[in-house]
Amino acid sequence: MNSHIKKVYVPMTETGFYILLCLKEPNHGYGIVQRVENMTEGEIRLSPGTMYGSLSKMEKDGLITFVREEDKRKIYQITALGTQVLDLELKRIERLYKNAKEGR
Amino acid sequence: MGATKKEFKYFTILDHEKEEEYLREMHKHGWKLVRVTGLGSYHFDECEPEDVVYQLDYNQKGLSNKSEYIKMFEDCGWEHMFEFFGYSYFRKAAKDMKADEEIFNDNQSKKDMLYRVFLGRIIPLLAIFFLGLIPGYIRILNDGQDQSLIIAYSILIGVYVLIFIAFMIKYMKLKRLAKVN
Repeated sequence: MNSHIKKVYVPMTETGFYILLCLKEPNHGYGIVQRVENMTEGEIRLSPGTMYGSLSKMEKDGLITFVREEDKRKIYQITALGTQVLDLELKRIERLYKNAKEGR
Repeated sequence: MGATKKEFKYFTILDHEKEEEYLREMHKHGWKLVRVTGLGSYHFDECEPEDVVYQLDYNQKGLSNKSEYIKMFEDCGWEHMFEFFGYSYFRKAAKDMKADEEIFNDNQSKKDMLYRVFLGRIIPLLAIFFLGLIPGYIRILNDGQDQSLIIAYSILIGVYVLIFIAFMIKYMKLKRLAKVN
């Protein structure tokens, strides 16, 4: 993982985190929007402009890869690099959580 | 056929939020946007007054993959209207929203859009500024003949510099907000 990827994606936005998490299985942008809405009981509603921009950027940076197109919707999946970034972010969040618990 | 009307409004590259707010107000008063022409002629059709949210995106990659780009917005309930100078116009009725909705849900992606505007619109302006305006200005200053030309050039340069500064301020502000997120 090069420094550009680290600088841009660690720490990452909530949108970025949920995109990578959902793309452990192949899915399209709108599918991710719906899954995140279910996962967070409607709390987080991702918007199409943000989703389109994030998917383009992550594909360009090699975190996700295009799988196929279905009914004008592009389906993506996470890459090895994307998984590394997601694991790094997960570790960071776990540490935050652990320290917050202990700090109480 | 209902009535139509045309209003001339000038919004700079930086004012797309003001433009969105203007279009929402017009729709609330029973005028829905049909198209934009020229340098900023807004054409409206009379309609039932309704609270409709208007949003602009600037995404050249999206426009070169148009059907897929528009599909994403339509899936999320946004009507795609048209393109104007590289900006895509979308709208969605407030009654179809569960909470306040925008086409960008965080500051990071708002900043990313501003960056795309920078690449697509500000860089060409910078090129005109440094390759055209500044050499021209130096030339007419050296000639020193035509006072009115010097004044016109000075105003033009002033406007350009103001746009650049305003853009920088807006970008830095969003960058700071995106960090806090």
